[in-house]
Amino acid sequence: MSLLTMIVKMSEGLGKTCAIFFLTLIFSLPLGMIVALLRMSKIKPVAFVTRFIITVLRGTPLMLQLLAVTYGPYYLFGATVARNKLIPVVIAFAINYAAYFAEIYRGGIESIPVGQYEAAEVLGYTRVQTFMRIILPQVIKRIMPSVTNEVVTLVKDTSMAFTVSYQEMFTIGKQIANSQTSFTPFLVAGVFYYIFNVIVDYVMGRVEKRLDYYK
Amino acid sequence: MMADIINETAPSILSIRRLQKSFGSLSVLKDISLSVDRGNVVSIIGPSGSGKSTLLRCASFLEHADDGDILYDGQYALKGGVYASKAELNRFRTRFGLVFQNFQLFPHYSVLRNVSEAPILHGENREEVRERAMSLLRKMGLEGKETAYPYQLSGGQQQRVAIARALCMRPEILFFDEPTSALDPELTGEVLKVIRQLAEEKMTMVVVTHEMPFAKAVSNRVIFMADGVIVEQGDPREVFENPREERTRQFLRVFER
Repeated sequence: MSLLTMIVKMSEGLGKTCAIFFLTLIFSLPLGMIVALLRMSKIKPVAFVTRFIITVLRGTPLMLQLLAVTYGPYYLFGATVARNKLIPVVIAFAINYAAYFAEIYRGGIESIPVGQYEAAEVLGYTRVQTFMRIILPQVIKRIMPSVTNEVVTLVKDTSMAFTVSYQEMFTIGKQIANSQTSFTPFLVAGVFYYIFNVIVDYVMGRVEKRLDYYK
Repeated sequence: MMADIINETAPSILSIRRLQKSFGSLSVLKDISLSVDRGNVVSIIGPSGSGKSTLLRCASFLEHADDGDILYDGQYALKGGVYASKAELNRFRTRFGLVFQNFQLFPHYSVLRNVSEAPILHGENREEVRERAMSLLRKMGLEGKETAYPYQLSGGQQQRVAIARALCMRPEILFFDEPTSALDPELTGEVLKVIRQLAEEKMTMVVVTHEMPFAKAVSNRVIFMADGVIVEQGDPREVFENPREERTRQFLRVFER
C-alpha cells in the first residue's frame, strides 16, 4: 500500500476524530462548570460526593472509562452495545474532561479576590449578575492557559477511541499498520495530530490575545 | 450619650445601637452605638484591630452582626440581632456606598462601565446614568480616562474611580474604609482632596482613616475606637487637642512628630 493510499484511508477517519474532539468540548466545557459549582457547594454531602466522583474520573485511566461506558451496560444489564460507538465514546470523553475542567474552573473561581464579590454586593448586583458579569469573565481569562493544555491533550486522547474500535483516524491507522506490518501509518497519525494541534494552538492564542485588553 | 443616639424629630441617616460582633471567640465589636446626621462627616480612628473596619462592614451588611440595631433613616435593617428580609436589605443597600481600601474596581471593565453599570442594572436610563457618570468622573479629575482600564491608572486615580462608582448610585451616605492606606504617600493627597470636596458639598460620610490631620480638618465628629469599644468621641479639635481618655492620648502620641 502506497503512502498516499494510507493517507487517504486515514483521512477518512478524520471526520470522526473531529467529531469526538468538538462534541467532547461542547459537552464538557459547560458540564465542567456545573461540576465545579457542585464541588464548591455549601451543602457538605453534595461537595463531598462531587469531589469523590472527580477523584475517580481523574484517578482512573480514560481508556478504562471508555471501555466501561461502551461495554459496561452489556455486562451489567445485558443491554446491546451501541451500534454507533460515537455516543459512548463522547459520553466517556465528556465526563472525563468535565472532571478536569471542573478543577480548572474551581481554581480560577477561587483565585478571584473576595473583594470583587463584596464590591458587587454593595453595588446591588444580584448573585447571578455578580457571577456572570464580574467573576466569570475574569475566571475565563485566568484559566485560558490551563484550558489550552487540556484541549491539546484532548486532540491526542481522541486516539484512545481505538480501544472500542471506533473508526476514527488512529483506529484506521492501527488496522493498516497491522495488516501491512508497517510503522508508516503511525508516523502519518503523528503528523495529523501535530497539524491539528498547531491549529489548536493558533486558535487558542487568538482567544487569549482577545482577552488581553486588561490585566 | 443616649440623647445623641435617639433623635425623635429627625432620624439620623445611620443609627447603630449596641452592635456586637464576634469572630469565633474573639469579640471584635462590643456594644457599639453611634449615629450619623445628614451632611456630617464622621471619622473613625484607632489602632489596627480595634474594630473600625468591621464596624463599617457591619453597617454595609458585608459582615453579619451578632446583636444590636442598625437603622437607616429611622428604619430597622437590623433589630435586636435580627436582619430585615433580603428584599428590604437590598433596598437599604441603595442608601449607602462603600469605598474599599483596595479599590476593588472591576479590572475587565472600562472606567466608565465600572462607574455606570450598577445603576443601569437597577433599571435606570442608560443615557442619564452615563451622563451622570461622566460628570462624576470630571469632578474626580478623571476627564479623558473613561475608556481606560483600571490597570492603566495610578492607585490614586483608581480610588477616585471607585469613589465615582459609589457616588453614581446616589447614596445618602458614603463609607470609606481606609481609602488611602493602599496608596503610595504621594498619591494620598489627591484622594483626600476629593473627599474634602465632598464634605464641603455636605455629603454625609463615615471615614475610617489613619490620616489624622485630614480627620481633624474635615470631620464634624471624631470617634476613637480601641479593642471593640468607642473609647471617646466628640468634636475633632477636642479629641485631638484635649483628649479625655488616657487610651486616646496614648494612641495619638504615636502620630506626634
